[in-house]
Amino acid sequence: MGGGGNKIVTGAVFWSMGGYARYVWPCFAFAGVILGWNLWSARRYRVAAQLRARRALEAADADTAAATVVAIPSTVGEKA
Amino acid sequence: MSVGPCEAFALVVRRELRLSFRRPDQLLQPLVFFLIVTTLFPLGLSLQLSLLRDMAPGVLWVAALLSSLLSLDSLFKSDADDGTLEQLALCGQGLTVIVVAKTFAHWLVTGLALVLVSPVVGTALGIPGSVFATMMLSLGLGTLTLSWLGAIGAGLTVGLKRGNVLLSLIVLPLAMPLLIFGAGATDRAISGVSAAGALYFLAALCVFTCTLAPFAATAALHITLE
Amino acid sequence: MWTWFYKLASPPYVYGTAAALAPWFLGLAAIAIGYGLVDGLVFAPPDYQQGDAFRIIYVHVPSAWLSLFAYVGMAVAAAIALIWRIKMGYAVAAASAPIGASFTLLALVTGSLWGRPMWGTFWAWDPRLTSELILLFLYVGVMSLRSAFEDPARGDRAAALLALVGVVNVPIIHFSVVWWNSLHQGATVARFGKPTMAASMLWPLLSMALGFMLFYGAVLCMRLQGEVLNRERQAKWVAEAIKS
Repeated sequence: MGGGGNKIVTGAVFWSMGGYARYVWPCFAFAGVILGWNLWSARRYRVAAQLRARRALEAADADTAAATVVAIPSTVGEKA
Repeated sequence: MSVGPCEAFALVVRRELRLSFRRPDQLLQPLVFFLIVTTLFPLGLSLQLSLLRDMAPGVLWVAALLSSLLSLDSLFKSDADDGTLEQLALCGQGLTVIVVAKTFAHWLVTGLALVLVSPVVGTALGIPGSVFATMMLSLGLGTLTLSWLGAIGAGLTVGLKRGNVLLSLIVLPLAMPLLIFGAGATDRAISGVSAAGALYFLAALCVFTCTLAPFAATAALHITLE
Repeated sequence: MWTWFYKLASPPYVYGTAAALAPWFLGLAAIAIGYGLVDGLVFAPPDYQQGDAFRIIYVHVPSAWLSLFAYVGMAVAAAIALIWRIKMGYAVAAASAPIGASFTLLALVTGSLWGRPMWGTFWAWDPRLTSELILLFLYVGVMSLRSAFEDPARGDRAAALLALVGVVNVPIIHFSVVWWNSLHQGATVARFGKPTMAASMLWPLLSMALGFMLFYGAVLCMRLQGEVLNRERQAKWVAEAIKS
């Protein structure tokens, strides 16, 4: 699998990345940060949009309900 | 009694020039800014003239860019504010002719003015006189292209509060190739190498922008005005 | 023949499709990225010039490709919206922008960290990094312009136009920066060389690139749902959609 007779390194040798550890690992860590931020931010955006839509729908329903309530008193007044 | 597009163009250019010259202080402001910014660099870096010469093309170009940007805000703003722009849009000539005329007039009073003042600034920065032709040609092509990029930006931001900052934010990245080739052309001329390649590319950029930008700027105005 | 194209114009269709596709994209992305990471970090041999530092390529190059891919995607969506007046195009463009900008930032940071062992400094105005920086400015411009308008529909259209103007400029900017860099190349600054790619080094790179693209697809679908809802709040289909 490796290019021509390479041995696969493990353990502490792997983590040291041939001495370049302090450049290589922060890169991968930041990549993880960016991937994670994208997922978190997209999920948050979607949830906020759903919430806003739900509230808008409830407000619209409340408006139609209020409209029917207002219509009733005119008949009540007539009875008295 | 219809007016052809060429007459309309000439009429609008004449109107713009007349309006500009009615406020000469507004005409001078970008030029003074150009001089001030150019002065900032030697003050900040305290270099001798010989060393300054190495940085001169870049300094000149950055100063020209920033001064042009300052005046771009007024390209459409006053006409948009008092409704003239909408009237012009409805006059049957098509907004594109109007936009071309306004931008060209704007370049005449800002970009061309910068080009004419540039030998003075160039001397102050240590640019040798033999290079002035290349310098002025590159500045002329560059400022014309920049006026068009600025027209697109101005069209997109007219009517926005603090549109000025956003205008710069939008236009400056698009203007970076201009800076590279304009300063590069002058730089090569100073080193004695042929600046032809850079000038050709600058000219190509100019032609490309002048051809397509009018439509983009008109589209931008349609978006922001309707 | 074009019915599938016009189906894309239907907000409930876009919302539903995005909701369905997102988990698939995410799962496939995880597989591709997982394989790429393992193969690239463990099995690929170290470069004979750059040693193990070259492994940064496995995040730097895919993120740079993605930053450009996302911008082009944003521009294509903007063109579709402006030319065919398909409003969902604006939603796709708006969803793409922050994703692309974040990957541009990733490309810049990883490129800078890669540069430190190679050049000795964190920044050396390398043409690729400089182009990425200007691309970041273009992204910020588009996002700022969209949010500057009080009327979101107008903001969408203005940002779409700017995205188109920007995409035309991207090759020009790249060419200019390469020319500029060749002009001013100091003798001490080595070119940001791609290591010569053995197959064992190339496969993980391609896998990471594919994984990043799939990840972009997933996050785009997620953001797109939010964008569609924000633009279609009053529509009738929304009630059914949010209940699920």
